Amino acid sequence: MVSAAVGRLLAARGRRVLAIEFDPRENLHHLRDVPPSGGDITAAGGGLVLQNLQPHQVLDELVRERLKLGMLARKVLTSPVYRHVAEGAPGLKETGVLGRAMRLIEGHGPRGLRRPDLVVLDAPATGHGVSLLHALTLVARVVRSGPVGHIASEIASFVGDRKHTGVITVTLAEEMPVRECLELISGLAETLARRAEAIVVNGLYPPLDRSAAAEDDPAVALFRRRRKINETQLARLRTRWNGPLVELPFLPVDRGPELTREVTLRLGRDLDAVSKELA
Amino acid sequence: MIPARILVVVGSGGVGKTTLAAVLGVAAAKAARDTLVMTFDPSLRLKDALGVGEAARDAEVRVPLNAPGALAVSLLDASGPFDRLVRRYAPDAASRDRILSNRLFRHLAGSLAGVLEYMAVGRLGRGAEAFLDRMVGLDLLRDMAEFFQAFAPLYEGLRTRAEDVHALLREPETIFVRVNGPAPEHVAETMFFARRLEEAGHHLGPVVVNRVHPRVEGTNPGLPDDRSEGRQLVAWLGERDRRGVEELRSLLDASRQPMVIPLLDEQPTNLAVLGGIRKTLLADTGGAHAR
Repeated sequence: MVSAAVGRLLAARGRRVLAIEFDPRENLHHLRDVPPSGGDITAAGGGLVLQNLQPHQVLDELVRERLKLGMLARKVLTSPVYRHVAEGAPGLKETGVLGRAMRLIEGHGPRGLRRPDLVVLDAPATGHGVSLLHALTLVARVVRSGPVGHIASEIASFVGDRKHTGVITVTLAEEMPVRECLELISGLAETLARRAEAIVVNGLYPPLDRSAAAEDDPAVALFRRRRKINETQLARLRTRWNGPLVELPFLPVDRGPELTREVTLRLGRDLDAVSKELA
Repeated sequence: MIPARILVVVGSGGVGKTTLAAVLGVAAAKAARDTLVMTFDPSLRLKDALGVGEAARDAEVRVPLNAPGALAVSLLDASGPFDRLVRRYAPDAASRDRILSNRLFRHLAGSLAGVLEYMAVGRLGRGAEAFLDRMVGLDLLRDMAEFFQAFAPLYEGLRTRAEDVHALLREPETIFVRVNGPAPEHVAETMFFARRLEEAGHHLGPVVVNRVHPRVEGTNPGLPDDRSEGRQLVAWLGERDRRGVEELRSLLDASRQPMVIPLLDEQPTNLAVLGGIRKTLLADTGGAHAR
């Protein structure tokens, strides 16, 4: 949801944006009310294009690109050895997807796609996000020569450089998600010697009107207790993170274009406020 | 009682898998079954919820629970069990040390699947060696060659073990428990998962819907003004979750109707809260499932 909103926000501000996800279940198209892309690049209006990217396709494309002779490429692609390496090598697929984002920004995209100004990557859940970072450095360390080795080190520097790559961490204000979010922040510092651009706290219970006490009503009491948990965890985040922190409340809207619009508006407003505060 | 020897709790990130695994462990111990709860969760939330210390990283640790069955916890790190497998199947100390000190192994040990796939590559011959050399370079190929050579004596033992695990996961006494968030948007994914699981020969047990908001009936004088943001949200969340649960009920067959766990007013970080969830589950199923 936040990826779609960030994509939409930046596209509305005149940037050419490509939003990439690699969850095979495809979520982004729901948020923009366009049909599932099935892997194709799909225009979602207003300067935003979407793509659901399957990591094995990315690696296959790399093979075709490197082995220009069609027959040779086909031979490799159908070889069980290649399939096993592509499927099983830890970090290779993740490196491929990040590499793809980097190459699109550098203008090496497919024909028909205008070079995007920005790629928004809907990364895996936080725990796996840490693995993604480790995968990147693992490939760069283990594979030190050959095209894959060169690409891996290039990507590691690209992702590590805040001029090129921004990281937005999304969390819930609850005990475990906050712990994982803080671990990701430490992981970024340790693995790539960098920090995130912002933390977005999603699904917050808004404060209830104090005048309507009625604590004995179970729904009100539950709502207040959840808000209290949120406040405690927001305070915990603030003690460990002094960068931009955006709060997004639960909204009474089903997942879909209307919710994306609403989240985009709030995200834009809050990020602007944060930028002014920092300026 | 779920008629199982192994329960595998699955679901998307953050839906409450670890909490449910802990609750099912408590429920089974209370029903006089000796139970071990295991997790790969790197955040170790199970350790906190069941009140066991860091010792559970290396061994099974007994949970101080007043129950007729024993409850133990084990926190798994993917590289630990693999090290143990190497120690178990290596024919001699020299082979064991050669593998454990291999550069490639040290990087891969955190990913069991990766290691097995590399081993499979080693068995598939040298057809694409030239290609791999061009792509990844000689350094890695040398490491791989040494790795496969060192692993050769272990391969059969590990393969047999992998096949045994594969068969175990398909036995009728291994039941998958799916945990879901309450919103209707999760329904399609759950049905897709149920279909894929059965196609693969596994057995899906109950579907658990976690963190369900209470429904607010009609006008409630205890709630803030009807026009307020909070009031609308309370009512909307209750209604949204009712829609999600109802949709699942209509799609799932009678044997695996959803079990509902309401959103709690505290976080499931101790045994008392887990005990409360267990009671809720028992009430929801009339004692039919996780007793």
